[in-house]
Amino acid sequence: MLWKSTGARLLMAAFLVLVTGVSLANEMAEPDPAKSQYWPTIRQMMFGDREILDGKDVIHVYLSTRAADAASVPVSIKGQIDQTPDHYIKNIYLIVERNPSPAAGIFHFTPESGRAQLETRLRFEDYSFVRAIAEMNDGTLYMASRWVKAAGGCSAPGGRFRIPENLIGQMKFKFMDAMLEYGKPILVQLMIRHPNESALAMDFDGDKVPRFVRSVKVTYDGKLVMSGEVDFSISDNPSFRFFFRPEKEGVLDAVVEDTYDRVYHHRLTVSEGVPLPGG
Amino acid sequence: MLGTFGYLVSLALAAFVWVAPAGATPPDLDALKVEEIAPGNYVHFGRIEPLSHANLGDQANIGFIVGDRCVAVIDTGGSYAVGAALRKAIRQVTDKPVCYVIITHFHPDHFFGAAALVGPGVRIITHTDYRRWIAERGRFYLKALHRDLGDLAEGSEVVEPTEVVSDRKTIDIGGRTLTLQAWPAAHTTNDLTVLDERTGTLWLGDLLFVDHTPVIDGSVLGFLDVLGRLGEMRVAHYVPGHGRSELPWPKVLEPERDYLDVIVRETRAALKNRKTLEQAVDSVGLSQRANWVNFDEFHRRNVTEAYTELEWE
Ligand SMILES: [Zn+2]
Repeated sequence: MLWKSTGARLLMAAFLVLVTGVSLANEMAEPDPAKSQYWPTIRQMMFGDREILDGKDVIHVYLSTRAADAASVPVSIKGQIDQTPDHYIKNIYLIVERNPSPAAGIFHFTPESGRAQLETRLRFEDYSFVRAIAEMNDGTLYMASRWVKAAGGCSAPGGRFRIPENLIGQMKFKFMDAMLEYGKPILVQLMIRHPNESALAMDFDGDKVPRFVRSVKVTYDGKLVMSGEVDFSISDNPSFRFFFRPEKEGVLDAVVEDTYDRVYHHRLTVSEGVPLPGG
Repeated sequence: MLGTFGYLVSLALAAFVWVAPAGATPPDLDALKVEEIAPGNYVHFGRIEPLSHANLGDQANIGFIVGDRCVAVIDTGGSYAVGAALRKAIRQVTDKPVCYVIITHFHPDHFFGAAALVGPGVRIITHTDYRRWIAERGRFYLKALHRDLGDLAEGSEVVEPTEVVSDRKTIDIGGRTLTLQAWPAAHTTNDLTVLDERTGTLWLGDLLFVDHTPVIDGSVLGFLDVLGRLGEMRVAHYVPGHGRSELPWPKVLEPERDYLDVIVRETRAALKNRKTLEQAVDSVGLSQRANWVNFDEFHRRNVTEAYTELEWE
């Protein structure tokens, strides 16, 4: 559980960083990822003294260097190794250093994932490093970092129109391909209609907790495809794109839980020769 | 659950602890140059360029209407310094007091000067949804202003309305009735227009961009609907949120409408062709580049907004 263990510690980390105050000067230029003022504290709280290795052969993180919209910056994390039972990426931690809650998500993968790969959309409260840390099945950690300059002009991380209550929790599966082929990995996107409110929205509404998606789990034919614990650094209407490998006709099944303890379900049967939704 | 949220909330509050550094003196600018575009309606045309130390957020068109009794200010510029320069411009035109500050929507280049214009007896009016969304974005905008302007941002503040408009409201500034209209989500979630009934002058805020690339920050479909409704209004003079034009009303709305139409059409086509958000951002609407200023700064963001709205159709 993100919130109960690492989450809580991480949040504390951010608390310390923020209250000790970080100067706003010289943030215009692209800083050195090793010299970030925020990172040491977050790192210590999340991973303690564990060594974190350079991830260039294990994990990559891609973002548009000219992030167009602080409310929805597409990010893709790509494992660089084949997932085998002996050697695989077990967890990927996605961190937006300068967001109020820096842990955007922790995603879990298995040897069956084929490739540990995930795309989502992030909010940015400030210019920030994004870090993706792969934790291997043997516990080794690898990190990739990117500097992102989102959030200029009127661009802001939240504050878009309200989603009607009856539409919250609506989901869609979308494919980039028109058809699937058994035995071949295929990308699928899970879209969730949800405000994914930040704590700032809570401020005005006076709710006890901000309402955001906290966990996502997708299975195919009963087997786990993707799962993760996430928070409000993920954009409103959360979107996740990932691979799965259908071997026969089966049901894609998504279960999403939010902080109001609402559980939403969505199912789609897919098979070879039947057009996939998405166009 | 609750324990963990305790952490979450304390964290969130910690993030809000950021306070604007105080102590500097705001820059003292000369009175803004204003033009009387219709009797009693004075407009300062902002510069069509990104925020900089040189312009201090003097980007939006802002101004005021003088009644027999008092003055209504419409938008205030992007920093305290610009608001103070607008106050000087008002004093060069009239001795009457400012009684209303009307904020057309929650974008920083329109409201950050308000602190220089408000005071006892001044009523601040916004769209009813301004309050909810400024609660979410205000701190973020203030932090960004300090990041970009440093000490030159001094004095700039997020203002709260003293009254709000949910549909339509008229105010009287002495021999002049102003009609305030709150619109559904369009340029933003909280667009408010002001019509001076005596001269037929419509102040559109950012529902109308001229030359400056239009910005979608509410709903692209809503924006097109609202433009349709605006086009049916009888208007003698108009004030865009950015830029100026000699085109007659409602023809002046057409370039912006065409731009939004292209975005909607091409984004829908990209969605139909299973294009990703990144692919759409790199292809939609590029034919429009020559028609608009600041295109690279805003266009990709617009496509992102349109895509994330239209992908749910
Ligand atoms: Zn605006």
